[in-house]
Amino acid sequence: MTTSEKAVASKNGKAPRWGMAVDLKRCVGCQSCTLACKAENGTPPGIFWMRVLEKEEGSYPQARKVFLPIRCNHCSVPPCVPVCPTGASYKRKRDNLVLINQDKCIGCRACVVACPYQVRFIAEDSKGYYGEELTPYEAESYQKWQPRTVQKCTFCVDRLEKGREPACVQTCPTRALVFGNLNDLESEICKLVRQRSHFQPRAELGTDPSLYYLT
Amino acid sequence: MAQEFNMKLTPQEEWGWLLAVDLFLGGMGGGLFLLCLIFNLSPSIAVLSLGLVALGAGVLMVELGRPLRAWRALCKPFSSWISRGVIFVTFFIVFGALYSAPAFDSFSWLAPGSDTARRTIGVVAGISALFVTLYPGFVLAASPSIPFWNSPLLPVLFSFHSLMVASGLIFLIAPLGLESADLRSISFWGGILIVVNFGLGAMYLATSKGSGLAGKEAVKRLNEGSLGWTFKVGVILVGMIVPLAVVLWTPSAMALAGLFILIGGLLFRYCVLKAGVYVPFPLT
Repeated sequence: MTTSEKAVASKNGKAPRWGMAVDLKRCVGCQSCTLACKAENGTPPGIFWMRVLEKEEGSYPQARKVFLPIRCNHCSVPPCVPVCPTGASYKRKRDNLVLINQDKCIGCRACVVACPYQVRFIAEDSKGYYGEELTPYEAESYQKWQPRTVQKCTFCVDRLEKGREPACVQTCPTRALVFGNLNDLESEICKLVRQRSHFQPRAELGTDPSLYYLT
Repeated sequence: MAQEFNMKLTPQEEWGWLLAVDLFLGGMGGGLFLLCLIFNLSPSIAVLSLGLVALGAGVLMVELGRPLRAWRALCKPFSSWISRGVIFVTFFIVFGALYSAPAFDSFSWLAPGSDTARRTIGVVAGISALFVTLYPGFVLAASPSIPFWNSPLLPVLFSFHSLMVASGLIFLIAPLGLESADLRSISFWGGILIVVNFGLGAMYLATSKGSGLAGKEAVKRLNEGSLGWTFKVGVILVGMIVPLAVVLWTPSAMALAGLFILIGGLLFRYCVLKAGVYVPFPLT
């Protein structure tokens, strides 16, 4: 996300629609993004707001691995929002991010089940990676979420509000992840989507995810 | 770590026994109240139906991660079926209680003054009961992520199944004092309901099988492994075929048929929940 993109987001009168393009030709499955997300958001054991799926294709000597980084797609028509009985899951009008107000969440899991991308999670407790006692880092980062309520990728909303890119994007060593405003036709992400062949995950479900896989 | 992130079809693991028990109790309670209205049964059966729905709501509270915030579930009736369900359950308990009150001396002060008022309250309670039996199906059908549930047939199936389970409960408690004329007509309609549910279930499975990879996998899960045994033996054989045989040929064992229908009804809800498989990731 460049300074000019931020300027366009506020000037063209349209609220930004933050999205991501994932270049599948560049992704090497190193899981750097997974770790960067962990480090940034301090998620508990077993919960990965972002992860890279992998699959083996073909057979020897043409066998190869394909990788698919996944996270919340901040859909334009998010199926997780209407099923929420409390309004805890909502789409923020000013930047089209799909967020969770954890103070309102009752932990009914309807949104977890409704999400076709399996990227919503519930931490049953506040245990850390090293047992009951939290490390100072965990004690600090666990303040960001509540046990037994839903949590998920926020596109690092705290960083966005400071004009910084999500941690996974900044970390990716192959620059497979491109973040930007899908409502700004001049943004790098829009140019990539125009120029490259691409698909949106499970677009047939009508969710219009803000995520494009470049192939 | 990467081993855990393989692309594969995954079943949902969020909802299991507790929700199945809630759906079972709520559905049975709603269905029982409807049968009570249709067959003009004793008000004590109406009270039992209220207790079952309230108990189901209590089980649901245990299922919630944050039960003390449960009141917030009333907030989104225009979009969320869970929210609508909470409203139907509340309406049902309030109007069902008002409808049943005249039968009990200590609560007669709650009773509506005129027959018209009582009939109106009965209609509101009945409509609420119908929606109590329908809404769990809509909650599940609202998930585009799980094609097996994402079917317009599911609410209908849940509603008819609730009526069948309610008739099973009546068979079970009939020896406690139900009039034989009532039992005869309910056993006739109970038999019809088993056949209707059998047909609806078969139609549901056939359409699910044709709804893509995840739908096909869900139906496969109902035919294989421990879930397959639970479904085939528990839901089909114990919950439907044996009770139908009893209704047709040995009406003296109706209570046993009722017990079997209840077991099958609980397992049916569990199987529907556990067979839910997410749509595959792209590239799968």
